[in-house]
Amino acid sequence: MKWVCLAPYSPMTATVSTPAAPIELPRGAHELLEPARAYPGALVVVEGIDGSGKSTQLYLLKRWLEIGGYRLHFTEWNSSPLVKSATRRGKQRRLLTPTTFSLLHAADFADRCERQILPLLHGGYLVLADRYIYTAFARDVARGCSPRWLRNLYRFAPVPDITFYFRAPLDVAVNRIMSGRPKLKYYEAGMDLNLSLDRAESFRIFQGRILAQYDEMIESDRFVVMDGTLPVNKLQKQMRQIVKSRIDLSRFAPKKASRVSQ
Amino acid sequence: MARSARTYGLPLPGVTDEEFGGSLIVIEGMDGSGRSTQISLLTEWLESEGFAVQTMGLRRSGLVAKDIDALLAENTITRMTVTLMYATDFYDQLEHRIIPALRSDFVVLADRYFYTLIARAAARGIQRDYLNGLYEMALRPDLTFWLNVRPEAAFEREFRKSHAISYWESGRDMSLSNDLFQSFILYQAKMKKEFEALAEPHGFIAMDGEASVSRVNAELRRRIAAHLGIQRTHYKPSSALASLWR
Repeated sequence: MKWVCLAPYSPMTATVSTPAAPIELPRGAHELLEPARAYPGALVVVEGIDGSGKSTQLYLLKRWLEIGGYRLHFTEWNSSPLVKSATRRGKQRRLLTPTTFSLLHAADFADRCERQILPLLHGGYLVLADRYIYTAFARDVARGCSPRWLRNLYRFAPVPDITFYFRAPLDVAVNRIMSGRPKLKYYEAGMDLNLSLDRAESFRIFQGRILAQYDEMIESDRFVVMDGTLPVNKLQKQMRQIVKSRIDLSRFAPKKASRVSQ
Repeated sequence: MARSARTYGLPLPGVTDEEFGGSLIVIEGMDGSGRSTQISLLTEWLESEGFAVQTMGLRRSGLVAKDIDALLAENTITRMTVTLMYATDFYDQLEHRIIPALRSDFVVLADRYFYTLIARAAARGIQRDYLNGLYEMALRPDLTFWLNVRPEAAFEREFRKSHAISYWESGRDMSLSNDLFQSFILYQAKMKKEFEALAEPHGFIAMDGEASVSRVNAELRRRIAAHLGIQRTHYKPSSALASLWR
């Protein structure tokens, strides 16, 4: 069955009667939404496994735009205070299954999406997101969730204008993390999957699975692949170039004082 | 991707169809339809017949029930977040309460199921196919009863019981009317329409919720007895529950 999109980026506007039968969603279904992007803002996303350098690069991009006075908003994965206590409790007591882990993060994202991301896009902001729905697709599929179910779950998310995928070899990324942050958390290391009793080894296997899932999405979700092993400043130069060529930044430039007010 | 006959399509990660028996019996209906009363009576009856019973309901998970209470008290909460938190609550109970009980051959009595969650979210404009997809890993109940009452009658029962009407059960987040009674009636009418849309595909057994408690109970027992193979369906509530028997 072909999935027909009724509302651009939102399952909330149309009510069409459908039977209870499951629907088939193609991979990268939300590509279909692209022509209908109906807001003056723009969304730039960075993705990649832990230690790929994505957060550093997004920070530098943000500084560059901030210093230039552009209208922007920065948002992070997993940061909504509303859902935080539930996530923390679930993790502490190890109550989370692949399904409830995924749903809690989706609820968290929905809160941020409806209260920050969408209003800001409609209000003409440049929104920068450190991790986005692809983090859920990669990580939750690595945990055993169905890709079809996940694609449906996040259907309400606006499609990014640019998705930078920072790709670093597994060993490089894992070593970066292990040298700076020796104590890995239970779910972070994928210990719930019984991959290995050794936390560091479990983390490595889990990150490898996530990396494979990211690679699967490169084409279907039009990732811009960035070589995470390049020097920071060189990579940043590339990133700024791509942003400039793909997004008309003048839309977000500081407004010049009008004559009337002078 | 493997399909599952016990669910609406997809299997739950880590759970296979094979291994569980038991029975899942759902009672749906708006507040004031007599759901909870019937669940109490059925539990006693089934236990007296030698069946082990587990119950579930909305907002009863160990994981997020308290958080949902807190979220609903905030007026900044949005419908997608509420929808997904309720989905979390539902799946947590499914995985940690219902499936373990079914594995141990229990009869699970559900005081509402995800049908109410779909109806609520759809009444607030979230697409039905999105919601169907969300609950694709839910178990198909063996029996689903729908206690049908007129909103006016439900309002009267609820008001008599608690002298107040819940903010959410009257749909006051939807700005239907400033008059509480009007809002309740309009909202429940919307909910009823959503339930009507669910009734056929999900095989609801519609029952007259305005009939007496004992009559509704007799009909429920008759149907459940047929399903579980119970011969004798005579039942009289114990003194602890006698006050419910009207």
